[in-house]
Amino acid sequence: MICPFDLLGSMFTIGLRYCGGCNPEIDRSKIVMDLREGLKKMGLEVDLTTEKERAVDMVLIVNGCKHACLEAKQVESDGGHPVVSVKGEMVDDQYVEEGDIVKILIHRICSLL
Amino acid sequence: MSMMTGREYIESLRALNPEVYFFGQRIRSIVDEPMFQPHLHGAAMTYELAHHPEYEEIMTATSHLTGEKINRFTHVHHGIDDLVKKVRMMRLLGQKTGTCFQRCVGLDGLNAIYVTTYDIDQKYGTDYHERFKKYLLEVQKNDWMPAGAMTDARGDRGLRPSKQKHPDVYLHIKERLKDGIIVSGTKAHITGAINSHEIITMPTRTMTGEDKDYSVSFAVPVDTKGVTFVFSRQTNDTRRLDGVLDAGNPKYGIVGGEAVIIFRDVFVPWERVFMAGEYDFTTELVETFAGYHRSNYGGCKVGLADVVIGASSWIAEAHGIGKASHIVDKLTEMIAMAETCWSCTLACSYEGYRTPSGAYHINPLLANVTKLNITRMVYEWMRLAQDVAGGKIITLPSEKDLDNPESGKILEECFSGKDGFSPRDIIKMLRLVENMSVGAGLPEAMHGAGSPAAQKIMIERRSGIEKKIELAETIAGIRKDRDFETIVGKDEKMHWDEVRKKIEEGRAQIH
Repeated sequence: MICPFDLLGSMFTIGLRYCGGCNPEIDRSKIVMDLREGLKKMGLEVDLTTEKERAVDMVLIVNGCKHACLEAKQVESDGGHPVVSVKGEMVDDQYVEEGDIVKILIHRICSLL
Repeated sequence: MSMMTGREYIESLRALNPEVYFFGQRIRSIVDEPMFQPHLHGAAMTYELAHHPEYEEIMTATSHLTGEKINRFTHVHHGIDDLVKKVRMMRLLGQKTGTCFQRCVGLDGLNAIYVTTYDIDQKYGTDYHERFKKYLLEVQKNDWMPAGAMTDARGDRGLRPSKQKHPDVYLHIKERLKDGIIVSGTKAHITGAINSHEIITMPTRTMTGEDKDYSVSFAVPVDTKGVTFVFSRQTNDTRRLDGVLDAGNPKYGIVGGEAVIIFRDVFVPWERVFMAGEYDFTTELVETFAGYHRSNYGGCKVGLADVVIGASSWIAEAHGIGKASHIVDKLTEMIAMAETCWSCTLACSYEGYRTPSGAYHINPLLANVTKLNITRMVYEWMRLAQDVAGGKIITLPSEKDLDNPESGKILEECFSGKDGFSPRDIIKMLRLVENMSVGAGLPEAMHGAGSPAAQKIMIERRSGIEKKIELAETIAGIRKDRDFETIVGKDEKMHWDEVRKKIEEGRAQIH
């Protein structure tokens, strides 16, 4: 994937919110790690932060399964930023195999930033 | 929009003229045929309770299409609360009828088709979902009971549908016309079919490209030209013609009143077709339907368990052994098993999720676990019910002999129990246990919503065994344990090297 030209050189902050991780069908930590790497490779400077007080450009919710305990509405208090939600093998309303989640996330993030 | 009462539902069937056969004869009036009446009463309960203030909270819902109050049996679940209320409704109706009330198959069909048509349209740009929403609106507006028709006759199970010797053992498209499709084939074991207003069909299995014409879903009124029903037999079914007492549950019968549905060159207009050849979505439709339907069994069968546990306890008391420790132990076992199944169905509902269509689906793994438990535990709690009730449940004389002045009095004395219990009441309760534990209800618990092997396939597929292996590898020290390394503040290998060294130093000091 090619990074949109107008995003290059700018610094973005993504608020990272995890569900509790009781019985995840995906490896949440690995997905975030691979996402960080993927964004870096594309030349995007993105800071993924779990600090709730920090100002962010968008929010990424990482739920371990489709039940999605951490519903999008729970993070609306983050200030009405764009939200992308991973729900096990789903990204927002799209079914995705675990191996494709990072690719889809990068696509969504680029379109929302 | 209006919700029918139980009576209105039964009367609404008079307006239909389905072609129904039973015992080799054409049945002209479904409503008046004594063999069908218990099944009609069971289904009528799903209508009746929606009008009772004390049940309407779970028996009704708000339509997401119109915002109006509807019977929950026509509702597409739009939240976890809906999923939970659905299984609460199942338990309630099981308690109220002591048998199958038949309407859940159509409910699950409506929900599964709603979810799947949305996904088909996303891939192919078709308009099945909009068609289906219009149909759903009609179902809600008329408070129809659609019979969910999934299981095909299937012929040789080792052959794919398109390879069968008799093509009609599976329902399939024979012809595609400008204004609709022509279908033929056979659906079997269809619950509540003869006393439904509509039939909604779904494929019975995963199809492949060569089975494209078998990948079909549609809805037709029960009295559509070319549709024939043959009502199935059940254990002891003709007892209901012999009086009241011998039937055990004369009001609501045994299981759901299943039928074979034969489609012979039936025309279905396109606006009622919801899948026509999209074989790559047959797995989704089958699994979504099965998931919903398997979750129900932890509701309805537990409602039945409530009844049979009550009956067993009553009989033990009437026999004067209500306080015996082995009886209390058996009843407690029955309760624990029933509540285990209830826990499973609540869990699969609370762990449900929002599908891309906006409708909510249960947790499929837990729904299959629910149904697998039912296939075992219903047999076990019914075995205990038979154990508590005693051998009389299979040796009681008939109602006619109780009524006969020559034998009635002595029989009543013979079957009397503890003071305060009428012999006739004791016999009624024993007949109820016979009806519930000896009849067709047991294999129905085994095979309804799919046989145990089908549940095991789904459980294995969704178990996430690879993740469990990773967990074991991490604990065993084969895989890196980041959390442990954070706790000890160093690399795991280094930590254990240090531990070994300390142990050796300690030993050296002791020696």
